[in-house]
Amino acid sequence: MTKSSPSGYTSLLQSIRAHAPGEHQGADLPLRISQERAEAMLHVVHDLGGQPDGPLDKSLHTPAHWEKCTHSTAECLAWRGVWVAEERRRRENDLGETIYFGTPYYARWLLAATKMLIDKGLITPDELLEKMEEVRHREEGAA
Amino acid sequence: MSKFNVGDRVTIRDLPPLFHTRTQGYTRGRTGVVVALRPEWVIPEDEAWGRYEGRREPFYMVRFNQRDLWPDYGGVAIDTLETEFSERWLEPASASPAPGKG
Repeated sequence: MTKSSPSGYTSLLQSIRAHAPGEHQGADLPLRISQERAEAMLHVVHDLGGQPDGPLDKSLHTPAHWEKCTHSTAECLAWRGVWVAEERRRRENDLGETIYFGTPYYARWLLAATKMLIDKGLITPDELLEKMEEVRHREEGAA
Repeated sequence: MSKFNVGDRVTIRDLPPLFHTRTQGYTRGRTGVVVALRPEWVIPEDEAWGRYEGRREPFYMVRFNQRDLWPDYGGVAIDTLETEFSERWLEPASASPAPGKG
């Protein structure tokens, strides 16, 4: 089911409701928030020290092909002088808390790299969308 | 020329956090001891925002007692934590030990 069908879009909306922070509908409306809430919202996402922890998964992870490609791409972009690691970390924070904590480690790299390339005018969003469609068709054809 | 030397007691500046930082929240306002000098490098406030040839500063490795960082620290008294700061984040520690932020 694709999201271009009405029922597909309805199920996407339900999925967004399930995954986005529960409070975000309420937070859109107030014109003022408390200082305490503002400080909590502005806390830098990757500055985790002192926050509640959970059980650690210590199993070894074998990098998938897309993860290796993502790492290599990020390094090549740095090698060509397009960005540096510190900028990548800042751009990962810029993705926002929901995406930062809700996506795999290398998905953050990938999204940060993508936005950076668009920000700097090295690619355009429409070029990217056309390419994504092209790849999707190719993969579906191969399946 | 480095402003601080190994052995100096320094307090981390407690500036507001915004968007990105390399100065952990739990170190701000806390006092530690310089244990190593690091070469000058571009400060993260420039590097993170695309100014790769930005302001260069000495960096310092600072050692804190864990009990000074975490009021309810459950480990032994000799436990320490070391982390790095660029010079602009450090101030000479005042003569009397600064109270923890609690």
